[in-house]
Amino acid sequence: MPSFKLLTCFKCIVVVSGLVVLAGLGFIYSGYYPMGADSKHTKLTYWALETLRERSISRAAQNIEVPADLDIPARLLRGGSDYAAMCAGCHLVPDKMNSDFTLGLYPEPPNLTVKHSGHDEPKVVQAREYFWIIKHGIKGSGMPAWGPGHTDEQIWNLVAFLQRLPELSPDQYQILTAQGSSSSHNH
Amino acid sequence: MKFQTLPYFVALPALMLALSAQAHNPEEHINKGEAPNCAAMKDMDHSKMDMNDPVMQAMMQKCMPKDEVMSKDGDAGHDMEAGVKKPSEHQH
Repeated sequence: MPSFKLLTCFKCIVVVSGLVVLAGLGFIYSGYYPMGADSKHTKLTYWALETLRERSISRAAQNIEVPADLDIPARLLRGGSDYAAMCAGCHLVPDKMNSDFTLGLYPEPPNLTVKHSGHDEPKVVQAREYFWIIKHGIKGSGMPAWGPGHTDEQIWNLVAFLQRLPELSPDQYQILTAQGSSSSHNH
Repeated sequence: MKFQTLPYFVALPALMLALSAQAHNPEEHINKGEAPNCAAMKDMDHSKMDMNDPVMQAMMQKCMPKDEVMSKDGDAGHDMEAGVKKPSEHQH
């Protein structure tokens, strides 16, 4: 008798699982999922995606070796001009709170000119994660992988600049990112 | 025959409109290549400036002629510039 009950239960689980899979497929093919970037995720979906992203990046970046000379002026200058050309449209400049991209992209790109509360990880961990994100990008977020077109040195220069960016005034930002006197770096 | 050409009259203006809308705020999407506003350094609070801060050193490098930075900081300016290996390829 117990074995008969177990078999019935097993069949029941298989049938329910099959129905769930079929319902999922039905939903995918129905076209009812709101795909627009102006349609927000539910809190549960947002939490799941954010946790997935944070954990994945944290694990993937944990063994990256950070250069010892990250905080030198030459890196700030090279990284600064790259930031202005490649990143400022989405991640903003000091004293600017939004752009076309921040208003339209979902999830909204983080404003890298301000310090974010709750992200107090050590600088070396932040540097590793910045490097990984810049090099590999983030799926489905609008963040491209810059690795294919850029050397690791160029990406580290960007990381060096990003780590100082929240402290920069608009004038300091302008001077560091301007193309003017730096003849070694043209985009 | 009349109706065969109609799509072209509709599609062409629509295409031109779409292309012009791709970067409707060009200021944000292009690299202006502007010169550093070094005059702003004079207005900064000098008492709060730390000459050992890499940000300050980078601004000095940007705004002062190289030989002037060298003479002020000894070899420091040279070391700073030489501190980073030049990337083998550098184009975006």
